[in-house]
Amino acid sequence: MQHRLEEETFQDMSLNLSTWKRIFSFMRPLRKYVMLTVFFSVLLAIADVTYPLINRYGIDQIIATGDLSLLPWFIGVYVIYMFFMFGLVFCFIYFAEKIQHYLSYIIRKNAFRRLQELPFAYYDRTPAGWIMARMTSDSRQLSDILSWGLVDITWGGMTMILLIVVMFILNVQLTLITLTVVPALMVVSYFFRKKILKAFRDIRKQNSRITGAFNEGIGGAKTTKTLVLEESNFNDFDHLTGRMRKHSIKAAMFASLYFPTILFIASIATALVFYYGGINVYQEVISIGLLYVFVSYVGQFFDPIMELANTLARIQQAQASAERVVSLIDANPDITDTPEVIAKYGTIENPKTENWEAIKGDVKFDDVTFKYKSGEQVLTHFNLDIKAGTSVALVGHTGAGKSTIVNLICRFYEPSDGRILIDGVDYKNRSMHWLHAHLGYVLQSPHLFSGTIRDNIRYGKLDATDEDIIEAATLVGAHDFIKTFEAGYDTEVAEGGARLSVGEKQLISFARALIADPKILILDEATSSVDTTTEFKIQKAIETIMKGRTTFIIAHRLSTIVSSDTILVLQNGQILEQGTHETLLKEKRHYYKLYTNQFKQTSLN
Amino acid sequence: MSKLQRFTTWMKGYFHLYIIGFIFLMMVQYLRSVTPLFVQHIIDHIFGSEASALPTFITRYLLGDSVADKLLIVALASVLITLIRLIFVFLNRIAFATFMETVAYRMRNTLYNHIQNLSFSYHSHADTGDLIQRTTTDVDTYRRFIGEQLVDVTRLFFLVGFAIFQMALMNGIMTLISLAMAPIIFTTGAIYFKRVKHVFDRVEKAEAKMTTAVQENVTGSRVVKAFQNEKYEMDKFDETSTLFRDESMHLTKLMALFWSSTDFIIFMQYTLTASFGIYYTVMGAMSPGQFIAFLTLLGMVVWPLRQLGRIIGDFGKTTVALERIDDIMQHRSEHHDDPAYQPKIEGHIEFKNVTFQFDDDTKPLLKNISFEVKPSETLAVIGKTGSGKSTLMNLMVRLLEPTGGEILFDGTNIQNINKKHIRQNVGIILQEPFLYSKTVYENIGIMKRNADPEAIERAAGIARVHDDIADFDKGYETIVGERGVTLSGGQKQRLAIARMLLHQKPVLIFDDSLSAVDTETDLQIRRALMEHWQHTTVFIITHRITTAMEADKIIVLEDGEIKAFGTHESLLKEQGLYAELYKQQTQLFKEEG
Repeated sequence: MQHRLEEETFQDMSLNLSTWKRIFSFMRPLRKYVMLTVFFSVLLAIADVTYPLINRYGIDQIIATGDLSLLPWFIGVYVIYMFFMFGLVFCFIYFAEKIQHYLSYIIRKNAFRRLQELPFAYYDRTPAGWIMARMTSDSRQLSDILSWGLVDITWGGMTMILLIVVMFILNVQLTLITLTVVPALMVVSYFFRKKILKAFRDIRKQNSRITGAFNEGIGGAKTTKTLVLEESNFNDFDHLTGRMRKHSIKAAMFASLYFPTILFIASIATALVFYYGGINVYQEVISIGLLYVFVSYVGQFFDPIMELANTLARIQQAQASAERVVSLIDANPDITDTPEVIAKYGTIENPKTENWEAIKGDVKFDDVTFKYKSGEQVLTHFNLDIKAGTSVALVGHTGAGKSTIVNLICRFYEPSDGRILIDGVDYKNRSMHWLHAHLGYVLQSPHLFSGTIRDNIRYGKLDATDEDIIEAATLVGAHDFIKTFEAGYDTEVAEGGARLSVGEKQLISFARALIADPKILILDEATSSVDTTTEFKIQKAIETIMKGRTTFIIAHRLSTIVSSDTILVLQNGQILEQGTHETLLKEKRHYYKLYTNQFKQTSLN
Repeated sequence: MSKLQRFTTWMKGYFHLYIIGFIFLMMVQYLRSVTPLFVQHIIDHIFGSEASALPTFITRYLLGDSVADKLLIVALASVLITLIRLIFVFLNRIAFATFMETVAYRMRNTLYNHIQNLSFSYHSHADTGDLIQRTTTDVDTYRRFIGEQLVDVTRLFFLVGFAIFQMALMNGIMTLISLAMAPIIFTTGAIYFKRVKHVFDRVEKAEAKMTTAVQENVTGSRVVKAFQNEKYEMDKFDETSTLFRDESMHLTKLMALFWSSTDFIIFMQYTLTASFGIYYTVMGAMSPGQFIAFLTLLGMVVWPLRQLGRIIGDFGKTTVALERIDDIMQHRSEHHDDPAYQPKIEGHIEFKNVTFQFDDDTKPLLKNISFEVKPSETLAVIGKTGSGKSTLMNLMVRLLEPTGGEILFDGTNIQNINKKHIRQNVGIILQEPFLYSKTVYENIGIMKRNADPEAIERAAGIARVHDDIADFDKGYETIVGERGVTLSGGQKQRLAIARMLLHQKPVLIFDDSLSAVDTETDLQIRRALMEHWQHTTVFIITHRITTAMEADKIIVLEDGEIKAFGTHESLLKEQGLYAELYKQQTQLFKEEG
């Protein structure tokens, strides 16, 4: 996990074309808007270049000749220009932003769909924060740079081309003289933009560290107080904020050098126009109006250059975002259904339930070996045959392979070797959706979604009626406490709503599993302690939901273990012992030892 | 301290930089308003016979015999003026950056320190997300206000002012005509941005909703998959994602309308100025050079005015941010007025009729608690969730203060002993210990920086967490906490114990601190600890009867009252709550046994 996060600091500044191609492919549905944006950006460039020419007309044709009869025409052109700009500005902002918001929507949609398809293992190795950043800030940044970058590049490029063309048409000599500063302008712009963006990225990094420190200071307040760490924490924090101040001032210094340098180069160009243009005017080679146009054009030259430099630098910066987003969207779900299976059973979005077989609930591990990608072998030639409707307790220390077995049954992972059979058929021959539709999973730490208690129970079966929900809640013994809430089943479970205890959450998650009515049930028992009364309720609930289902329990409670049909004692991916509580106790081997150590410590005293 | 005073203390010692920055800023804007006059000088003064609009401190150097010489000197002067202006730009930006970063630095430090020292009850009622928002976003809002917004407003104000000044020097009537639309441009911006604020809020809300949807989906991915609700989740997400997109587009339409309509008004102003300008120039009331200068100066009035309106429309945010920061500062530090007395603590502890109740509660959490523990004795407190066990411990380290009765350490009321001194002497291991975003090594040695690595490994060994650490990729150098590897509850608890093992404390409290460790390991650890801390007064808070029964004395707590007090044997005989708990927790084994 650590390693993965560090990978993200991309040092390479060269453009990765395949990544951008992939990102551009998301823009395909927006072609129409892209074309409109380009069109309006070009119009805007034309409008910008035309403006000084209108004034030149006034200066040379009206002022110079003193012919006021032309003034109404001049005003007319200005009024047209006014309306033209009104429509133009509205359109290019509208279409550019339309691309931005729709593109980020498309990226999010693709990424989210992929997230639903990705196997469980992906979530195991990818921190939630990483995924969140891809879905929010990265997709926003990418669509922003692509939409506005498009505007800036077309507008900036077009303006520069037009300026140069028009200048050449107007006066070749003055144009050549003015253009001598352009290369310097470009180099300086690009150099500074890159430096500045980098400096600001450093600051953002520092900033997120400071936020993290505040988060710790507040979240860890009790620990800090009891360990009297206020002072040393503060020293660490001061170190952080001190660095932030230093970096910020340094970045500001860079930024404050940039703009003046550009202005200075531009002022040299202006001075050149003053001198050579002035002489030309004096010699009556050019008109005053033309001098005005050239002075204006020199001023208009830096905007597009700065925008272009800025866009280029930003695209390079956005490359990291692009790569991360693509890595999410193109992440390979390493567990997929074969095309044949999909043809028969359908996909998650379009299941062909009419072709689905009913399930009995027999589960068989046939010579299953499982290794993680890292090479770590967890199960070796594992065999297990469980009849429908019976219960299995998995017992053993952490790392014995309990969760692996469960993850394999759920097909969150697939065996590296060997087969897992459900009702005698290799589960790879049926769709994952089919399996999950008949499989219930109750987690060790119950996860409830924000929403009401009713919503949460209904999550097990989206078309459940209110009666179904009450029935399920009653069966697991949750109805009584739910009734005590003012809003009953409509009580919000998230922050600001009822504060549910761990035990209560567990009962709700049982109800959720029960309403789904799975044939195979996986139960990951909680280790965390709840008070005795709740514990008793939970125990009853477990007994209720196990009835008539093939149940696998990662067991921690003695009562659960004792009452299950089969106990598997695991160690290092091997079955050490298998049998009922009575038979295993009689054997006086591993289970007996575990049992006496773990549950009978009273006798040690 | 008044609000204003509080905010100015952060500026102390640097305020002169701020003033200097503004002075530079003013000079920069003045020089900027001068640049359009060079064209006027060339056209009217060099080619014609009109007066130059340039100020005399510049014109006095603009001499020369021929027109070519004069032009060359003007060209050089314009570059020189720009250069001077740029030096001022650089200096004023540095001044402002230093000022605002220093203020932000001080604010962050003050807030961090203050929050750390706020009372435990403040923290237990505080909303973490909101506090973080205040310490980061709100501080940044203020920082940007003094360093950017206020500076921008002043800059634009100076620019508009000097531009109008230069215009007025050349032609009064034309200046008035050029300002015809100014009030409309300014107020449109100010009013518009106040009005669309709620649209911004709606976009933000829609985004937050979408973010929550992703967050829930990602953290609950197991549940989603277990109930094959992927399609349902996609639809749900699509709804929020679409809403965010559509709300953004709604804002886009409004913004596009704002920019285009203000452009329209601005060009209307240009039309006015250009038309009248040409008319007056032809009529001889104005020179061609002045006309051209007017067109450029107009740009220095109308565009900044739109910006000004926009920034001022946004000012409201800062007041809100400042109030939210001030709200934190108004709470007193818990160390305010704390006695300095630091006696040696032997470990003799006595509670006399201690009662505790939160201000906003209707019923006390603890009622008339009295008991006594002698040095190196072990006392267990057993009770259900909500019985007041943890409150009892919080009172002992003065995280909370009793509302009645007194707590004595070696005969001294602890209210007369320095808080930090007490906490240094009373070690407390919490049920949910917090680990800092540092390495495992640093976390264990957190109270003793640069502790001997061997001692740390020994402590980790006693706490049965050494093997877990050795399994991590980077061992003791693994970063834990928010920015690192996530540890299980049991691993955290064992690390917390190792952390305490590096020290000898006269009093030690285990606040359900092994609840997430399996019973076997729990027992092993406790055995090891009893040995390590045999001269320490130990309090054990638990709901496991097997943990409690080993103590010298046991308190049974229910609903904030001591229901029974005695040894394991004597309590069993009483046939009360303790015996009942004992039966409940052991019956499972009895059936078999």
